[in-house]
Amino acid sequence: MSGAIIENMSTKKLVFLFFIIIVLQVLSIMVGALIAPSPTSAIRYLATKCIDRHRARGWLVPWGSNRCQQIHSFDEPLAQTLYANDIVFAVHVPLPNAEMSPWFQYMLAVLQFDIAFKVINHIEDDVLITIDAGLAYRDDLTSEWTTKVRSVEQRPLRCIFAVPKTYENEGRFYHCDPVPFMELGSVAHKYFLINLRLPVNDTVNVGIGEIKDIHVVGIHQNGGFTKVWVSMKTVFSPWILVATVWYWHRISLTARPPVLLEKAILALGVSMTLLNVPAEWLSLGFEWTWMLLLEDAQQGAFYSTLFCFWVIFSGEHLMDQSQRNRLSAYWWQVGLVMFGSSLLLVFDLSDRGVHLTNPFYSVWASDIGMKLAITFIIMAGVSVCLYFLSLCGMVRCVFRNIGGKMQQLPAMPKARRLRYKGIIFRFKFLMLVTLACAAMTVVFFMLNQVSAGHWHWGDYTFQVHSAFLTGIYGMWNLYVFTIIFLYAPSHKHGRKKSGNSQQTEVLETAESQESQQTCGEQGPTETYRITGKVADE
Amino acid sequence: MPTVSTVNLTAPLLLLLLWATHPTMATNWLSLARLPRSRPVSGAAPCARLRGLTPGQVGVCRARGEVMESVRKAAETVIEECQHQFRNRRWNCSTTPRGINVFGRVMNQGTREAALLHALSSAAVAVAVTRACTRGELERCGCDRKVRGVSPEGFQWSGCSDNLSYGVAFSQTFVDEPERAKGLSAGRPLMNLHNNEAGRKAILHNMQVECKCHGVSGSCELRTCWKVMPPFRRVGFVLKERFDGATEVRLTRVGSRTALLPRDPQVKPPAARDLVYLAPSPDFCHLDPDNGIPGTAGRRCNGTSRLAPDGCELVCCGPGYRAGRAEVVQRCSCKFSWCCSVRCQQCKNTVTIHTCRV
Repeated sequence: MSGAIIENMSTKKLVFLFFIIIVLQVLSIMVGALIAPSPTSAIRYLATKCIDRHRARGWLVPWGSNRCQQIHSFDEPLAQTLYANDIVFAVHVPLPNAEMSPWFQYMLAVLQFDIAFKVINHIEDDVLITIDAGLAYRDDLTSEWTTKVRSVEQRPLRCIFAVPKTYENEGRFYHCDPVPFMELGSVAHKYFLINLRLPVNDTVNVGIGEIKDIHVVGIHQNGGFTKVWVSMKTVFSPWILVATVWYWHRISLTARPPVLLEKAILALGVSMTLLNVPAEWLSLGFEWTWMLLLEDAQQGAFYSTLFCFWVIFSGEHLMDQSQRNRLSAYWWQVGLVMFGSSLLLVFDLSDRGVHLTNPFYSVWASDIGMKLAITFIIMAGVSVCLYFLSLCGMVRCVFRNIGGKMQQLPAMPKARRLRYKGIIFRFKFLMLVTLACAAMTVVFFMLNQVSAGHWHWGDYTFQVHSAFLTGIYGMWNLYVFTIIFLYAPSHKHGRKKSGNSQQTEVLETAESQESQQTCGEQGPTETYRITGKVADE
Repeated sequence: MPTVSTVNLTAPLLLLLLWATHPTMATNWLSLARLPRSRPVSGAAPCARLRGLTPGQVGVCRARGEVMESVRKAAETVIEECQHQFRNRRWNCSTTPRGINVFGRVMNQGTREAALLHALSSAAVAVAVTRACTRGELERCGCDRKVRGVSPEGFQWSGCSDNLSYGVAFSQTFVDEPERAKGLSAGRPLMNLHNNEAGRKAILHNMQVECKCHGVSGSCELRTCWKVMPPFRRVGFVLKERFDGATEVRLTRVGSRTALLPRDPQVKPPAARDLVYLAPSPDFCHLDPDNGIPGTAGRRCNGTSRLAPDGCELVCCGPGYRAGRAEVVQRCSCKFSWCCSVRCQQCKNTVTIHTCRV
């Protein structure tokens, strides 16, 4: 590409720009750490055991004005007069005096069973638990409950018993893994009611031990975090949009058709703009259950474009004599990225896509579903690994070429030396910035997994998880903005080099003869032809 | 006409009697377990009529009446759990036939057993109140103390804080109240406070953390973790272990304050989670029905385990034990489901049982 802005910027201006970027990055981290609360909250509900002898399919409410007839513990004498099919576990989702809000964005529910060990009624191996689940809602405290969905689901039950299975240890509880139960894509109502039955007959729910209690853990995004996140998106999105439009305008000002690298940068800007679109504002008013799926797709599109951009950028700077500037020259790396991301898209559609109609569905419930899902994920992981290996190989090639060219630099005439220096500097700068961003992402991800979630320092509480999410989001926004700004075609370059046109032509022909066969094929790259042509003007 | 001398004697005798029974008043609220289920325990009038509550506890009953039902449940849980954990030992948590002092003479002196019962009761109150909160039975719970703002906005901004803190705080308010009223310079109140806190610590140190990943495509980019309270059976087991390792202490003056330090100077001072006791335990061998000690005559014991705590050597006292054969009717071929009514057949079995001699 004809001298980008970065090549013609003085070091002082570059440092100043860098300083502003760092300040904005620290600001986005601090917004997450100090203003936003923790990203999600988990509330544990203990299901009330309602008695429904008549097997009516109405909605049973655990507390409040018309609470159901309840049994507090299965050890009471009353339990001996009931059948297992008479019991309904009821949970009313917000606790008393609280309401759910659309700012919560989604609601997940996870079940935890309290199962006591009895020698003659223990949990069998590889047992499936069948749950007849129903979800209802209402918007005020007096109206009737409206049914949202009813479904019969199966889940594998995985429990371990830490101490020996003897009569001595009867009555102690198994330790069971949490069972994923429900994923609701939008919280459009104020009050929700969950009714769970565990139907029993000769083949269903046999060998699941002695259940004492069911705990439902409701997970949702904190309203405060959503507000901070949406504000960040609203602030970033016009900047990136303006930058992308400006970049396209600069390209259209140059007289030639855009190079592949410029198209890649434009694609990056467009995908970042799409990621920044604050669709959450609209989801507050409408019940859009596909918001989770949309967010996954936006992130996937951005990451795919980013990976393709890295490959194209490295390839275009492979200062060897190969014919590039076509997408088909990178067919297998781009193909790998597209393959991996389409696999993940299919997996996401099969999981979150079905949640649009049935929030109780889980792809991990059936054996086939689990095997397919694991296969897809492993194949996507393998293709990402292969992509990174090929990227590393290409980057290594570029550095080797740079090393070779740097040795020849003192022997070159001034125009060529400046040109190569510009290209080398451009590449090294992007490498450094990309590595820094990627390293920070990985380090903060690890820190996020192991840290407790909030640090206290004097009077302040730092929310580590929120800081990670907002910091990484701000970082990639600033990264894309920097690239768009610094790699836009510069207008200074054209005016300077008009005097050296003849010299450059001679240099071009000489270049094609001295071919350094380090990593590539024959022929000068388009980048160099362009540089030569501009030098002519 | 009573002479002046008898009047002068009876007054100090009465005071002595009151003082003698004073230390047991702390856990008399456990007698709530003996009330019939139908009798209400909340509301101004019923609170005042509950025997076994100290005046401070009656005040708590009046102020937070809805929680008292959980306190009653906690009392039932204490008796049941203690009798389960100690079913095979010489002291098997036997209860008195009537009265507000549920566990009898062991509670009057600061024995090991009293230490355990104090710890178990404060833990039971915390657990019962937390469970009532998570079931939605209580109006004010974890959502009361907020980071920002009052309840609805606070909940919507950053979620609710843990219900367990509310349960622990209520346990501190209710169970610790009689001790604080007596002042912190006497030995028994200090011991009771320490053991109450040890019971609550037994819950807090056995919490488990569970997590769920729910980021992009189910990755761990977004991970939510929550704490799980241990089941009360586990708390009982932990406290039984602490019972076995309890430290004998005595009241000593350290500078201007008094503290409980080990009687044996070579033993390290007890940590907050250990149980402490002031007086040695009585001999549980002989029958003493008024004090709630049934003695070991006729107790079943395990003839096969020689040196375990449930073995006949340790459970039975002097006269030893004898073996006998008995025919018992047990349930067999049961058809189970995950709860409730079970259809079984009756099988006759001949088993060998060991009982302690008189």
